Amino acid sequence: MSEDDLIIGIDLGTTHSLVGVVDSGFPIVLADETGARLLPSCVSWPLRGSPLIGTEALRTRALAPRRTVSSIKRFMGRPFADLTADECASTPYSLVPGPRGEILIRIDENTQVTPEDVSALLLRRLCDIAEEALEHPVRRAVVTVPAYFNHAQRESTRKAAEMAGLTVERLLNEPTAAALAYGLDRLDESSTVAVYDLGGGTFDLSVLQMRDGFFEVIATAGDTRLGGDDIDLALARYLADELHLGELTDSEAAVLLIRAREAKEALSGEDLVVVRLPFFRAGNSYETELSREHFERIARPLIERTAPICRRAFAEAAEKGGGPVQRLLLVGGSTRIPLVRETLREWFHLEPDYSQHPDEAVALGAAIQAGMLCGRIRQILLVDVTPLSLGIETFGGLMNVIIPRNSTIPVKAGELFTNAVDRQPSMAIRILQGERELAKDNWQIGEIVVPFTPGPKGSARVGVQFSINRDGLLEVLARDTATGTDHLLEIRDAAVDVEDAAVERMISESVDFAFEDLNERVWTEARMKSEELLPAVDEALAAVGDRLLPEDHAAIATAAERVRAVLGGPIRDARALKAANASLDEATQTLAAVLVEAAFEGS
Amino acid sequence: MTNPFAILGLPESLVLDPVVIETAWRDLHRDGRDHAGDTASDRNVARAILTDPVDRLACWLGRVDPDGEPERGISANLMDLFARIGPVLTTIDALLTKHRKATTALARAVLAKEAVAAQLAIQTLLQEIQPMKGALTDRFAEFEERARSGDCREAQRALGELKFLKRWEEQCRERLLALLGT
Repeated sequence: MSEDDLIIGIDLGTTHSLVGVVDSGFPIVLADETGARLLPSCVSWPLRGSPLIGTEALRTRALAPRRTVSSIKRFMGRPFADLTADECASTPYSLVPGPRGEILIRIDENTQVTPEDVSALLLRRLCDIAEEALEHPVRRAVVTVPAYFNHAQRESTRKAAEMAGLTVERLLNEPTAAALAYGLDRLDESSTVAVYDLGGGTFDLSVLQMRDGFFEVIATAGDTRLGGDDIDLALARYLADELHLGELTDSEAAVLLIRAREAKEALSGEDLVVVRLPFFRAGNSYETELSREHFERIARPLIERTAPICRRAFAEAAEKGGGPVQRLLLVGGSTRIPLVRETLREWFHLEPDYSQHPDEAVALGAAIQAGMLCGRIRQILLVDVTPLSLGIETFGGLMNVIIPRNSTIPVKAGELFTNAVDRQPSMAIRILQGERELAKDNWQIGEIVVPFTPGPKGSARVGVQFSINRDGLLEVLARDTATGTDHLLEIRDAAVDVEDAAVERMISESVDFAFEDLNERVWTEARMKSEELLPAVDEALAAVGDRLLPEDHAAIATAAERVRAVLGGPIRDARALKAANASLDEATQTLAAVLVEAAFEGS
Repeated sequence: MTNPFAILGLPESLVLDPVVIETAWRDLHRDGRDHAGDTASDRNVARAILTDPVDRLACWLGRVDPDGEPERGISANLMDLFARIGPVLTTIDALLTKHRKATTALARAVLAKEAVAAQLAIQTLLQEIQPMKGALTDRFAEFEERARSGDCREAQRALGELKFLKRWEEQCRERLLALLGT
């Protein structure tokens, strides 16, 4: 085999990453020199020397939380303005806006890195693992991405691979990859399969039709900000509250998060765990018991966020003639949580299929796709879709859809543009992805500039072709109908010309002010939440209050009183208000469930 | 514009079985022409057009009656439907906005009753639209017959109405999907 033919498959995950290849017709995951197949997606920058990658980096989380970067995938291809205050506050390392409005990770005064830098280091390591295992140089790869990643997030992933010295032969959607791994030895079967992929940071649901080796994705939906990380964080917050830990240092927060995650993992097999924090603070140790039941109360709201996404994808698949979903395939580490399996069974009346290794299926699928591209696997054909509608901004700030979501890719569509005034040299067009009617509610992918030949108004005619390739990446071609020449239009970063005054201010202000600013943002967010909750409590109690137990009433009244007290307090204590909101939110879960139930009874 | 019928190697007929379109598209994929650059997106676009009856009618009319125009006026029962769709969509949009702004389970639960009612209203509308569309697409064989004697007026009128019905159906379906998310 020549080195040019070799293509590896990479699963670049939020929590860990893997590399695989097809060997004698079978996909395999490659191990590093210690025999490990999972590379923790973690990079740390020691005070001296080169960055640590993987397990070594993971060890520095508690010691140097601000120098250790994990879950970087969540920040790929997003502008800084897109971050919520909560996201900034919950990351152990510090996120700052870059000169172009992009996200930078500030390790210290002298070191700032981009999300792509971090991913490139991980990809390079995976490539090294493959080269060592295969004893061949590796230059080409299939890299997986969440199906719901937009153009910018995909482009950012491709760029990271390029920085790592890899040519990306295909960006493959993760649930599609898992379906390939599942379907490889079931080629005679004919069925409609839904892949439920809940990982560390992202959630995807794809519905595929498999028939005679033909794999066709018919619908996909997801949330690129929902995963096991969110459950860890919710659990860590609960523990901090339960143990009355108050204000946490960076290191304490990092340790607590690690323990929360361990407790979550243990509770997949056990009914009760003891969370221990030995010598946590000033020599003091803490411990508390956590039952699976209690953990599930914390995790349930997050898992429930996947339900509407599934329903949506199922409805769209049925609409496209996919027929009923026959198999529900579970992949991603978070699907180990028993509650996920139980709720899915309950919601969809389908027995979840966990025949695939939740951590390895995606990497195996990436290896299969790599094998298909270099001719090692010939019996499969694969067709995927674009997850998000693509459009442009039109008059009145509306989005005009050009390519609808769930279109089979590659796909293209043309639009004709003309000059609106005499001698107009060019026209800027904002490109959007998303399903909302207003342009501002969608992802701003970037801007293209369509050049016009100077002339009276309406004389210029430029046809613009928007195409989405097999990687889910957008390409824009302009054709001047007068000259008949085509040329590729550059999609300029939407972040470059952010009009958002808040962002510009944040960029110009020094990092010292960032904390105060953050407190203000957190307070505003929390206040809005209080103002939403308090009237909702009154309304809900008026409607179904008689169905609650007296202790529920008391808990709600106490929690509501606490929110009112902090809200009307003399200082703007953002942290206290957030905590008070969280207790009221928690205290009203049953009330909310009863209210929803009542709504369906009436129908 | 390229001809979707030709791309998939299908006869230029208005009456096409979806299975036939699907098979033609799959066979071309299997042909191994998968790597021939542009042609894959042409095939995918062609399939999308021919699978949708309204787009297929528009495309077919563009070939048999290139100078014709779809009829602009709409019938009385379409007008009546339009008058009823608008307010329902507006109510749902207001509800969805409230739902989107809600950050807590309780605030969302408060909206549940209204959401259930809205879902019912939309489903009722969709159930009205579908037979209206069906009544027109059922006449495709007739349109094709008439076109042989050079008469495309009925088909053009149907296209005008179908375009409205398709748009309303899409708008209703979008709202229904959004409501599924509540």
